[in-house]
Amino acid sequence: MAVINLEAPFKERVANALGDSHLAPAVVRATDRMLQARHKAMNSIDGEGLRTQTRQMKEDVLRHLPDYLEQLERNFQANGIVVHWARDGVEAGEIVRGIGLQNGAKTVVKSKSMATEEIHLNHVLEQAGLKVVETDLGEYIIQLAGEPPSHIVAPVIHKRLEEIAEIFHEKLDMPRTMDPTEITSAARVRLRNEFFGAQMGVSGCNFAIAETGTICIVTNEGNGRMVSSMPKVYVVVMGIEKVVPTVEDALLQLQALTRSSTGQQMTVYCSMTSGPRQPDQPDGPEQVHVVLMDNGRLQMLERGYGEALLCVRCGACLNVCPVYQEIGGHAYGSTYNGPIGAVISPALAPEIARFKELPHATTLCGACRDVCPVKIDLPRLLVDLRSDLVEAKTNPRVEQLAIQGYVKAMSSREMYERGGKFASVASNLLAGLTGGEIKWMPPPLNGWTDHRDFPPFAKKSFREWWEERQKLRNRE
Amino acid sequence: MPARDDILNRLRTALRQPELRFPPPETHRLTADDRMTVGTAEGDRWALARRFGAELETLHGTFEIVETLAEARMAAIGRLQMWVAEELAGRRTERPEQPGDRDILIWSPDALPIDGLTPALSDLEFRVIEPQNLHDPDERERVRYARAGITGVDAAFAATGTVVLGAGPHKSRAASLTPFRHLLLVPISRIFPTAEAWMAKMRQDGTLTDFLRESRNVALVSGPSKSADLEGILTMGVHGPKILHAVIFDDIEAMIRG
Repeated sequence: MAVINLEAPFKERVANALGDSHLAPAVVRATDRMLQARHKAMNSIDGEGLRTQTRQMKEDVLRHLPDYLEQLERNFQANGIVVHWARDGVEAGEIVRGIGLQNGAKTVVKSKSMATEEIHLNHVLEQAGLKVVETDLGEYIIQLAGEPPSHIVAPVIHKRLEEIAEIFHEKLDMPRTMDPTEITSAARVRLRNEFFGAQMGVSGCNFAIAETGTICIVTNEGNGRMVSSMPKVYVVVMGIEKVVPTVEDALLQLQALTRSSTGQQMTVYCSMTSGPRQPDQPDGPEQVHVVLMDNGRLQMLERGYGEALLCVRCGACLNVCPVYQEIGGHAYGSTYNGPIGAVISPALAPEIARFKELPHATTLCGACRDVCPVKIDLPRLLVDLRSDLVEAKTNPRVEQLAIQGYVKAMSSREMYERGGKFASVASNLLAGLTGGEIKWMPPPLNGWTDHRDFPPFAKKSFREWWEERQKLRNRE
Repeated sequence: MPARDDILNRLRTALRQPELRFPPPETHRLTADDRMTVGTAEGDRWALARRFGAELETLHGTFEIVETLAEARMAAIGRLQMWVAEELAGRRTERPEQPGDRDILIWSPDALPIDGLTPALSDLEFRVIEPQNLHDPDERERVRYARAGITGVDAAFAATGTVVLGAGPHKSRAASLTPFRHLLLVPISRIFPTAEAWMAKMRQDGTLTDFLRESRNVALVSGPSKSADLEGILTMGVHGPKILHAVIFDDIEAMIRG
């Protein structure tokens, strides 16, 4: 098992991932399965129409986002939901911690949520002395293992059954078993205790309906219904882009999400909460709080990456990505991984250079754009990011100098030809030293040859070849 | 400035910038006429009932279709008896009875589409629990061990095998969530071809938004609880019910006959 160190340099994280011989096969197997299910689910209907309409709906939301947010807030409040606003993760964490402490919560049950991963909410609550229990089976496993999730919808995609069995044995003192049913029922029994005992439930939000003030969360296991129904206090942390105008829009997004993600027509559960229980209702929370969180989303819009705010977090772009399939989620070193993570991690971060390697960790093959349920043009956004990173001068000094030199050379014919001749002679010299392919180049070019060979330049330039060819032809 | 105004002001300023790369300056809200129906199901009420059942089966649920209310009552009781027998037979101990084996969570009679279930089940030594207040510690403890739940549905969608369960004064959420086995009573009149068709009807009647708001919680449920988190291997009954059975019955004929 590879050591997961998110703080390690990018190169090292990738090397760790590639060095784990079990990782890529596990990820490929799981992502291929989800992808096939996705294709089947989208091809059995007018998938293109679904994508077009979902995008149209989400574009309109973003264009009028302030109005929809105000409508959502009004309806939340009319339903008895307490609305909080948070500029960043620190504010959001403080709000949730405050609600927990105020209500004397000791145990918090959580339904898997990327927004709370993003702000490291578990850590914040644990620091305040609360016990936090992740209740999605996959998320529970990685919480026991002390790891972050490695996929937006399948957090434990990187682990084999043997490893999971070992975790349950070690952490829960359970007899070693490789039977998935036994592992599942052990988790059911343990988490059942938490659901019935916890004072507070926390979830993210897949979408919230502005016209009714309704929070929607989708799960297959039923933990979403549990956290939103069993404890007395229910807290939702949602990004400000998650609002949809109407109930019909919610249904549209639900179907685009589930069909793209796991290939289901519907998830097993879609739990829609429109406030605390009515006095005459037998169950449900007595308080519902919603934290509307920015945490970099506005900045993403201002930086020109608003298109990525259409994302519904289905994970299809991860499943189809040849890079993600090789290195898995942890190598990205950020909450969001895969192609969408390579865009939103730097775009959300206060310093765009914080995740500057990620926009390069892609082949720009475009497969992600073709499966995206809201048709986000990920390759274009990745290229935009690369360009912005260059303008912010975050690339190495040597590269900047080299590009400046290249620009100069390209603007004069004489210099271009001389440069070409030099590259040809020098590269063939190096190739001669190492036998055909260049296996070593002097610094600063050794960064390339550390990892791959470099073909030598042709001995003749194209112009030389063309002139000779024309001469021969004229002779005939 | 409070976070709220700060966020909304900044958002408005950003969206006013003419050179903003995204979203486009003109966008179009989807209208009712534009909207597609994603999945489809066709046919008369029996065809829709069969389709609903077939979809539920692919989701690892089970179903039966009967013609009258009396048959539905019999089917429901028979199923609950069968479940107890099944559970006891499956246990490998000498004294297999466990607390909660004969406990059933149920919606109140007012909310159930079939009457007379509670007395009939009590006669058969089931303990029928209508949750009143789950935040009461004693009741919470009782609810916790109930092995089966019985509920009606607000609507069902044939195309996806989905049921709509709204919470309400007589409609406990726990009955469809915490027990191991869940029995759904599905009147045929509540089966719609698709979710879109149901919403269109509710919208037309002017009840859609009130239904969501007043219920405070509406769950769309498609099959029993499941997970594929363990190496992609399907496991059932992670948190919600592991067994889901629908008794579909013809209430339309009964309504016509009065």
